[in-house]
Amino acid sequence: MKEEIQFILDVSERIFAKNIDHKIRLDPEKNHDTLIKEIRESHLTKIAVKEKLGGAGMNLVDIIPLIKLSAFYGVPIPFVETIICNYFFSVFDTKPTDDFISICYEESGVIIKDNKVSGLLKSIPYLNFTNKVMAKVRYNDDDYLIFFENKNSYLKQIHNFLAEPRYDLEVKNENILFKEKFPKEINFLNILANLKSIQATGAMEKVLQLCIDYCSNRKQFGRALSKFQMIQNHISEISLEIAASGASISVLESSNNIETNRDENFSNDIKTAIAKIRTGMASGKVIALSHQVHGAMGFTKEYDLSYFTKNLNSWRNDFGTEIQWQNSLGNYFLKQNKNLWEFLNH
Amino acid sequence: MSQFNFPFEEETKDLKDLRLKVRNFIKKTFKEDKITPSPDAWVFSTNPSFSKKLGDQGWLGMSFPKKYGGHQKSMLERYIVTEELLVSGAPVAAHWIADRQSGSQIIRYGTEDQKKNIIPKITSGECFFAIGMSEPDSGSDLASVKTFAKKTTNGWKLNGRKIWSTGAHLAHYMIVLARTTKQVDNNRHSGLSQFLVDLRLPGIEINGIEDMTGQKHFNETVFDDVVLDKDSLLGSEGKGWEQVVGELALERSGPERFLSHFVLLDNFLNEFKSKMSEFSTLSLGKIIAELQSLRIMSFSIASMIEKKHSPEIQAAFVKEAGNNFEKKLIEIIREMSNLIPIQTWSPSLKSLFEDATLKIPSNSLRGGTSEIMRGIIAKKLGLR
Repeated sequence: MKEEIQFILDVSERIFAKNIDHKIRLDPEKNHDTLIKEIRESHLTKIAVKEKLGGAGMNLVDIIPLIKLSAFYGVPIPFVETIICNYFFSVFDTKPTDDFISICYEESGVIIKDNKVSGLLKSIPYLNFTNKVMAKVRYNDDDYLIFFENKNSYLKQIHNFLAEPRYDLEVKNENILFKEKFPKEINFLNILANLKSIQATGAMEKVLQLCIDYCSNRKQFGRALSKFQMIQNHISEISLEIAASGASISVLESSNNIETNRDENFSNDIKTAIAKIRTGMASGKVIALSHQVHGAMGFTKEYDLSYFTKNLNSWRNDFGTEIQWQNSLGNYFLKQNKNLWEFLNH
Repeated sequence: MSQFNFPFEEETKDLKDLRLKVRNFIKKTFKEDKITPSPDAWVFSTNPSFSKKLGDQGWLGMSFPKKYGGHQKSMLERYIVTEELLVSGAPVAAHWIADRQSGSQIIRYGTEDQKKNIIPKITSGECFFAIGMSEPDSGSDLASVKTFAKKTTNGWKLNGRKIWSTGAHLAHYMIVLARTTKQVDNNRHSGLSQFLVDLRLPGIEINGIEDMTGQKHFNETVFDDVVLDKDSLLGSEGKGWEQVVGELALERSGPERFLSHFVLLDNFLNEFKSKMSEFSTLSLGKIIAELQSLRIMSFSIASMIEKKHSPEIQAAFVKEAGNNFEKKLIEIIREMSNLIPIQTWSPSLKSLFEDATLKIPSNSLRGGTSEIMRGIIAKKLGLR
């Protein structure tokens, strides 16, 4: 599988490098036709789909490097989301679509009747880009995974508290194109939280690269910023945070899967929590220090940095902040009748 | 960016079994020998009889070749043993440096005689080492050392001073970094060599320096016309800098950089786990996530060393992140005790806490300061 993923990474990197620049990132509704076309033609969004359904047959662990890479390049469309939706189609032996899809995790008052869905789906990204939505919803005491196309529903643009576009969708009798009971063995929240942790490490590596490039070229007081010890200190600290985040992700990379539900030792939950906490902590520091390194230039919309630091800020808040995961992890420990060292070596 | 890769090493069943075996041995020996745990025990807590017992178990010089009395185990097995010793606050200071770095330097660069004479004594826990790097005028700027070894007909004559050498007063040998040719301005790293110095030789004076905790764990060592035979040279003449850089990776990347004060945390939680407030779960979650990430990094480096890689920047990451974590740990324990006034703690916990608080400033100074670690990282990133 290693050779195959390397090949896919090479193909992806060529597509991303050629088609993504800051202009496209800032205005994803325009200028992205070739990016979409090339991603479609390469079938990258079907990478985690079974081969018999036209995919590459990889699992979610195999594709961690691709998720990281897409964050490094700041792919401004629901690329990762679509991969995950297609993975779910594949779980149910359903042929995936060629379209891009967004994912919804928060909902209230959902009603499913006569194969139609109504209710409020909250804080969905990318609905300016696609009208296809996959959502996990609860109805009549059961969890369902549904997929539908938004045709008539009221779409309200909101923002997450970082001014990143998100959408609330008041769904009204939309035709359900796919519906299955959500598999009990799969933990939706953990998958989504893991994705954000993995994406954060990719984005942080990009931020580091931007810092190194900027301070190597920008001169003040007659010498490159990179020659100032204080700046070197900031960048060292950034890289240290990335290293520690990478270590927390490496546990996911070595797992058999990142999707199964809790076992008796909570071991998957613990892995997810550790990655989300460590990358969340790191993101906070990396955002602050990278802006410090870039001075006023980094605070402009026109310069790349802010796109990535806004992503980082959004991701550390999505699917549980590190603070919420700290609370869960602390409680896992307190609830088990083990001393800390035994708990750490479960 | 490969320097950020810390491939995860799974702990196999054999390693888990080893972990339990070491843990049980420590528990039993602590009880039999009435040993009490202490923080920073690998620096401060010396017990030659305990070191000898570890040697008897085959847990010293674990990775060294069998023909020199070693056990040819992997660096990962050694890692497991060191972790268990650290978290229990075991008295390991006597042998720590010999087992961690000096023995490896001798295996790597030593002559056959040096290996045959010294390595078996290290593995049996009867031969201790001190580090001879820093000098009164060369702290972080290691390349500026002035201790000089002059070539003579039969060997070398050593003059100079080494300082901050932990355990030199108990050690049998010191690996001394000395100039063998005068420093040239355009290559500060040239002309340095390492020497294996028997600390019982005439002309050597070891003076203890009282630290702020009131203990004399580190020393100044004076070399006054010390006559060294030819075989005292360790490795190649003039290659001391390259050799020392490898030694420092061993010194900096181990779990002692983040588990030195675990014994305090463990005792605190054993005493007060049931009294943790909701606020404390946040701190606990943070500690667990940070600690596990550090363990993954350090364990992964052990594997890199096993595979003969040279993880210099990775070692700097572990040392710096580990030291930061330990400093934070003391503060977090203070925070978690918000509803448990220190007056209500058991005397042993209180003593551990006071001890750790006093010792913590040294953790980001020894083995290379934070500033040096950050400098290494910056250099590796191409900023210098």
